[in-house]
Amino acid sequence: MIIPEYSLGLLVAFAAMGVAFFAMMRETDGFHRLLLTDLIEVVSLAFIALIGTDLAEALILPGLVVGTSELIALSEIYRIKEGYTRPPDAGLQIEVMESAPGILAALLVVYGIVLSGFSGGVVAGLGVLFYLLCRGHDERFELIETASGYSWALWIVAFFIFMILPQYWFFAVMLSGSAILVKVMAKMSLIGTMRGGPNA
Amino acid sequence: MNTTFILGLAILVIGVLSVAFVRPKTYVARLINLEIPAWGLLLVMLAYDEALALMTFVAVTAISTFVIVRLMEWRDASC
Repeated sequence: MIIPEYSLGLLVAFAAMGVAFFAMMRETDGFHRLLLTDLIEVVSLAFIALIGTDLAEALILPGLVVGTSELIALSEIYRIKEGYTRPPDAGLQIEVMESAPGILAALLVVYGIVLSGFSGGVVAGLGVLFYLLCRGHDERFELIETASGYSWALWIVAFFIFMILPQYWFFAVMLSGSAILVKVMAKMSLIGTMRGGPNA
Repeated sequence: MNTTFILGLAILVIGVLSVAFVRPKTYVARLINLEIPAWGLLLVMLAYDEALALMTFVAVTAISTFVIVRLMEWRDASC
């Protein structure tokens, strides 16, 4: 029963992939191509999701991270290339736009800390990034960089504990999980400064 | 055969078609239609109990929509 389901899913995903790449091939406008890149990312994640085991989750999480970073980078490149240099004026002045970034960022950061590890760092980092993009920033980024560097060192230390003192594996798991959380979060939140600012 | 899985695959195909051949061909229409294949993918993940991947996908989709809308704002301000 499992194998026909997987084959069907694979067939459908291949068909969807074909349609998505066909649309990509026919498209000439840069922005539309950017949106189609997003579509292709969704379809390719469906391929991975079809595996349906823990391996699928382990593969989807870095896929999402790379996809987001790629989208942010490509959107910036496209913006510079097309010469959209004039900043948009403050558009929608409604209450929810003022309060939403804080609440959403807090939820994402808390969920990221609960997840911990690499994917937790990404989720928490996205929360910080979202907040920085919405609210502006005047933090000192050397501080974030320093925290990131120390947590990287702690991550390496945790690996040495795994190798040299394997009986303390639980401590090492906790250490590496929280260190990589801080590391990835710091790196992701730096993207939030791409709007430009005094310390960026 | 799992109903959630079949529904997810159907919505995935419908969504891909609606994004690939979008009418009217505007950026906003295509961005809104992008939510449909995302729903299909979410149902496929739900069918296989991939809770962690599902929730992370929801969080990441919110940010990618935000990034694209921001790019549209810059575009409108400069054109």
